[in-house]
Amino acid sequence: MTVSSLILVVDDDAAIRDSLSKELRAAGYATATASDGREGVTVFESGAPDLVLTDLAMPRSDGFELIAAIRAASRTPIIVLSVRGADADKVRALDLGADDFVTKPFSVPELLARVRAQLRRTTAASSVALEFDGLSIDLERRRVVQGGREVRLTPTEFSLLELLAANAGKPMFIEQIIARIWRDTPSTTADTVRVHMSSLRKKIEPDPSDPRYIITEPWVGYRFIAEPI
Amino acid sequence: MNGRGRRAAIWIGAMAAIAAVTAAGSAAGLNPSTVGFAYLIAILLISVWGGLAVGTVASVVATLSYNFFFFPPLYTLTLADPANWFALAAFLVSSVTVSRLVVAARRQAETAEQRRKELETLYGLSIDLFAATNRVGALGEAAGRALQLLGARGGGLVLFDESPYRQRVVSWRGDKPEEIEDLIAGVGRHKEPLEFPSPLGRDVYLPLIVGGKPTGALVARGTEASMHALESASRLVALAVERQRFIEESAHMQALRESEALKTSLLRAISHDLTTPITTINIRMESLRRRAAGDDDLRETVGAIAEETERLRRRIDNLLSMARLEAGKAKPRPEPAPPADLFRAVRENLPLVFAARPVSVHVDDDCPDVNADPSLALEILVNLVENAHRVSPPGAPIELVARRHPLDGDKVRLEVLDRGPGLPAGVADAEGNVAPEMSDVGQRGLGLEIARSLAAANGGSIGLAPRKGGGTVARIDLPAALLPVGERV
Repeated sequence: MTVSSLILVVDDDAAIRDSLSKELRAAGYATATASDGREGVTVFESGAPDLVLTDLAMPRSDGFELIAAIRAASRTPIIVLSVRGADADKVRALDLGADDFVTKPFSVPELLARVRAQLRRTTAASSVALEFDGLSIDLERRRVVQGGREVRLTPTEFSLLELLAANAGKPMFIEQIIARIWRDTPSTTADTVRVHMSSLRKKIEPDPSDPRYIITEPWVGYRFIAEPI
Repeated sequence: MNGRGRRAAIWIGAMAAIAAVTAAGSAAGLNPSTVGFAYLIAILLISVWGGLAVGTVASVVATLSYNFFFFPPLYTLTLADPANWFALAAFLVSSVTVSRLVVAARRQAETAEQRRKELETLYGLSIDLFAATNRVGALGEAAGRALQLLGARGGGLVLFDESPYRQRVVSWRGDKPEEIEDLIAGVGRHKEPLEFPSPLGRDVYLPLIVGGKPTGALVARGTEASMHALESASRLVALAVERQRFIEESAHMQALRESEALKTSLLRAISHDLTTPITTINIRMESLRRRAAGDDDLRETVGAIAEETERLRRRIDNLLSMARLEAGKAKPRPEPAPPADLFRAVRENLPLVFAARPVSVHVDDDCPDVNADPSLALEILVNLVENAHRVSPPGAPIELVARRHPLDGDKVRLEVLDRGPGLPAGVADAEGNVAPEMSDVGQRGLGLEIARSLAAANGGSIGLAPRKGGGTVARIDLPAALLPVGERV
């Protein structure tokens, strides 16, 4: 019998907290709850959850404090439940170390997909190849095969793909991408990233009208959306 | 008593005083030196009362009387003893000097008194202006009181609205002939006081200047007050006007800040309070859906509830976006967004539409990214696709197309094509666009209107056109994201 992952749900609204816990349990996870940031820290320390779902705006102690407190001590994945129109909050939460966000009102399947992606990222062992539906990336030989045929990428494009695929499911800031790939030319602009990303996407997407692997994440950067197999 | 009467009375009085001293001296048989002192006292008093001219004439008359009545030979203007010529000359010089000294002293005292009064007035004015100015009216009252105390018989305070030609009378006493307006504008423009005689006496026009800018004018008509006092008063009033303006501006800014803060917290609260129940409904729906797995009836009901909840959510999103844009809380933040990603987001937002009918997506190879606020662009598309879904017969496909604008290379055209009933024939213009009032806007309703204003906020536009072979094309033209030269690969 496998031990189910423990998810900490932090929200000041009891209806959301309870119904969300119930759905997570139905999906096979164990849950713990807290009603604000401070209680969240206490439960986090005593329960050592595998993943944290937290609201941002809460009385007493908000989600930002919780994220900062968790990040000071651990790398446990954090998914933020943000509200629409609060883009600045979303970006700030990611900056503080949150791994992903969903926008309220979200659908449960969408949330579960994000949870799976985050849990998988933390358990995935470092490997020499990344495998997705229809796409395989050989990190050692720096080869990419899409739909059974090899795709020729420039070194920059390959680095971009490697970085995003290794962080599948996680929104990546353009600044992070520049810092990782254009280490030697930190004056690189977002436009440069966009140009390379656009040509990478043209090469790996089987249908450019319907992206399957990489999408833009408004006001953040990019996200690799395919689930690893 | 009028001026002329008063002058006559002074002259008569002066002569009577000389005559009285002469008569008393003669009757009492006083010796000439005693009479001389009596004359001097009389001239001193006459000078105090009547001024320099009367004093001087009285001195001469007294000298003649002194000679005529008291120096032998009596009752002639000749003198027996030549030494008496010296005495008489000494008397004349002393009496004229006494007269002048007395008059000078009196003038000084009067000037000092006037200065004291003016200072008192200015002090009172400054207290008035700075203690009681919570409204412009109080300024006018204080200025009016000060003018009155400075001896002005008319005039008042006039402020400028931006230009000296747009005048606002804050307070005014007496009549105000039309030319006064021009005079006021003149001192406002030249920033120099103006002083000239008028039917009322002396009129003074003083500009109110703060930081080199004329803000109004203080007018004193028929005043005796010194220019110095009037200028001080105008400076005080100018400062008070400026202070008043600062107070008003800061109150206005304060009110603005408070209403902005209120708007923000209100929008936040509404957003939170409307979103939370829908989130809960969505989550509970999932548990219902699981239970409905084996029950077709229940599954259909749950599906319908889910669909309506989705519509409700989108409407709330729409209204909040509009409210934010209108409240100035959200400025569209354009960034390059690939049309394919927008279409994909539409699919995620409208899963039920995409499940109910075929939706095809096409992005031209050379189609640039859209430079628009991604969430607003998404909302526009979602509204139009939802409208297309609503008017289309079951199973009829919807197409989403993105291409470079056929006429304007700096724009991207996104199209939503349906096979609905379409627009009435013959209402399209040469470009295939129809006026909104001629189209089926009624059916498309709020969604189209919202899409229209969101597109406008993004620097874009929306048009509806009949589609070849039946149906409607909804077009969204948005600015293209053009990469800087040299960045193209």
